Amino acid sequence: MEDNSYQLIIAYFEKTISDEELTELHEWLELHPNHQEQFRETMQILEASKSYFKKADEIEPTSWKLISTHIQKEEKGNIVNVGRKIHWLAYAASILIIGSMSLWWYKHASYKESTAVEYTEIINPEGQQSKILLPDSSVIYLAGGSKIKYRKNFSGNKRSVSLDGEAFFDVKHHKRPFVIQSGEISTVVLGTSFNIKAFASDHKVTVTVNSGKVGVMNTIEGKSHLVRYLTPNEQIEINTITGLYAFDATEATDVSSWIKNHFVFYDVPIHEVMSSLEHRYGVRIEFIDSGIGNTRVTAKFKNMPLNNVMDELMVLSGLTYTKKNGNIYIYRANQKGGKTMN
Amino acid sequence: MYLKLTDEELTDLLRKNDSVALETLFNRYYKPLCHFCAVYTKDYEAAEEIIADLFIKIWDGRSDSSILNIKNYLFTSARNLSINYNQKKKDPVDSIEDISFQNHIFEDTHTPFRILSGTESVSKILRLIDKLPERQREILLMSRIDQVDKRKISEVLGISIRTVETTLYQSIKELRRMLKDSTNLTSRG
Repeated sequence: MEDNSYQLIIAYFEKTISDEELTELHEWLELHPNHQEQFRETMQILEASKSYFKKADEIEPTSWKLISTHIQKEEKGNIVNVGRKIHWLAYAASILIIGSMSLWWYKHASYKESTAVEYTEIINPEGQQSKILLPDSSVIYLAGGSKIKYRKNFSGNKRSVSLDGEAFFDVKHHKRPFVIQSGEISTVVLGTSFNIKAFASDHKVTVTVNSGKVGVMNTIEGKSHLVRYLTPNEQIEINTITGLYAFDATEATDVSSWIKNHFVFYDVPIHEVMSSLEHRYGVRIEFIDSGIGNTRVTAKFKNMPLNNVMDELMVLSGLTYTKKNGNIYIYRANQKGGKTMN
Repeated sequence: MYLKLTDEELTDLLRKNDSVALETLFNRYYKPLCHFCAVYTKDYEAAEEIIADLFIKIWDGRSDSSILNIKNYLFTSARNLSINYNQKKKDPVDSIEDISFQNHIFEDTHTPFRILSGTESVSKILRLIDKLPERQREILLMSRIDQVDKRKISEVLGISIRTVETTLYQSIKELRRMLKDSTNLTSRG
């Protein structure tokens, strides 16, 4: 039984832990404070062991020269020279530069029509999620701290919605295309379900598709360009400042699980988790010590009250927090590893 | 293009005098092999030399070699050569820490576990690792090397995967015990 706990901790450290194992780990951690101590110490040991080889990584390998000299001495008559130089490309996730680099904000891209048109705007404060039925029977789950705006009767030759924040869309199939505008990035569909995360302050737009096919476009100098089509379980993340984007396969139901009050985070920096918690619970969360927001964690939460979520995250990250005036402040834990004061 | 070839394909090409295949294998396994050697030699320069000699030997013997699994061959040979090196050397280095950590800068601040401990505690753990029973130490360190998984360790050391796992857990338990003991001593002192 004890061996099993070590196996789980190692899997967590190596980031190969499965969903079921992660649940097992969380449950085991909750059983006894000794388990939390074992977790912390083991993580420390694994981390230290990894750094055993750190110096080696800083040394420039010169050995190949020795070997190649030896090989060349041998190949004196025979020019079997394969001659090619191997160009080592750094690993590239599919990143492509979109259009010209002079991207600039079209704040009111969708509002160029005459001011006689009426709009419906729905604004969710932090901590409040809502489900919205649109005139065409499409459904939007709108997250906390997010807002949408659309033409009152969904008139026009396009069904157009603008979004600042995060929402899950379940779009009814119609001939008229459904367009979501988030800054300069627009997502176009006919009938599909997908998640868009586009908080203007994050300067990035992430579109994840659950079902159907989704087209993601970028507007540059008034013209729309297709960035990419996405199919189920595909995700694109666009940096709206640089225009660089990354495309990935992902578990779409994990990304949109927030609509059911489930959260899944797989090896993400803890500041991202805290950002989601802010939107979900409507609390202000701040990192006091520098750099700690970059700690990576893997966790899942189902319908848990905020305190439980925070406690668990603190065990996983080795940090600690205090609550003051309804705000949460996160610090590095006490150096001596003793019990932290709350 | 060579990057996409498997170990078997590269070994095949190597037999046909293709030095680029050798270079590809070299680049693929050089770092983990050096780390692997360093577990025994505790000296990175020696590790580099050993690996260079190993590849030269492989090149020289390429036409009549019947190597089935080059990865296993590389790691097993590396281990044997490193152990030989240790036996020949007169003044074994006590701890990798003596050579490696003089100008050490902990760049990665993203893990509070390291920050919590501070450079002191990590050095302490590293010193204690060198005090572990040899097999526990071997397996703990090897399991941290890229491209070397439990299966590979079991194949190179000639033991079962289960034994690799239990030894790994033992090494962690032992280190936890040693750490506790050392803190008890200091608080009394």
